[in-house]
Amino acid sequence: MQPNTSSVSDSLRAGNRVVAFGIAAIVLVLLGAAVFLFLNLPDANAFNARVERLFIENDNLTTGAEIKLLEILAQSGTSFSEVLTSYRSVIFVLLVFATALLIASLVFLVTIVALNRRISAIQRSGIQVATMLISREARAVYINDMEFALTEAALETLAVLAEARMDDEVLTGAQIEAVISGRNEADCDEAAGATRVKRLRDALGNQLVSELLVKTIARRGYVLAVGKDALKMI
Amino acid sequence: MRHLSLAFGLLVALALPVQAECYADYKAKQDDPLRLHYGVAQVSACDKAVAKAELADRLAAAGWTLLNVLSVFGPEGLEERKASAAEYFLRF
Repeated sequence: MQPNTSSVSDSLRAGNRVVAFGIAAIVLVLLGAAVFLFLNLPDANAFNARVERLFIENDNLTTGAEIKLLEILAQSGTSFSEVLTSYRSVIFVLLVFATALLIASLVFLVTIVALNRRISAIQRSGIQVATMLISREARAVYINDMEFALTEAALETLAVLAEARMDDEVLTGAQIEAVISGRNEADCDEAAGATRVKRLRDALGNQLVSELLVKTIARRGYVLAVGKDALKMI
Repeated sequence: MRHLSLAFGLLVALALPVQAECYADYKAKQDDPLRLHYGVAQVSACDKAVAKAELADRLAAAGWTLLNVLSVFGPEGLEERKASAAEYFLRF
């Protein structure tokens, strides 16, 4: 697994977890609100019960007119509770809409965060080398499954740099020359190694791409700008 | 003397059945839609509990639910309640 892609998929997994938890939380909260709403709205009988209690508790409410008034009170309460029932369904529909919108916005938010992370990762790394396979037999290097034919010398330079990269080493021009020619490092010229690096870069074509691939570290030497796990040699 | 005893006899004759006549005023309701009424009815005994049981049955037969019995009284209390009870005066 490549470190860069795995970090992206890690963040995607984290994002998925956030989405799952967020959706669960939203549904839970709004479901709770809906249940609360349905339980708390008075039913049609609440008004009748109040009026009935009023009637029982006041012994002097006995004349026909007073009783008629109480009945009208109960009826208006009942019609009001019918209105409330229709409100309840409207509120419920609105709650469903709110749930859908909140879920959608959460998903979009997480998507935006994930995309931002990916974009900044891409911006940081410029050109992403996911795999780099050096094949001595075919005298070629495969970068992201694209084949680049190299000369023997350039391939040698690349192989030396790749081995150094695997050991987390930075090679100077003289060191490169020493490894390839088999002579002592003290006898080797810095310029000879630099020329080999330059030829490798030229062979790989575009200077910019090569610069990104074979990095120069000032006063220390050259190193491959490729993840260790991406390197393979056959 | 004869007048007096006659008068007394008359009084007793009048008073005895009157004493036996008991009335109760009550409140009752009907659901869906809520309807309420205050009524006066004759009951067999001048006792609230007895009146309650009796009236509950009688009202239930007509589709009403007894809410409570306010008081039990004799015929002397009928007149003052007649206007309030109106159509439910001695109906049940």
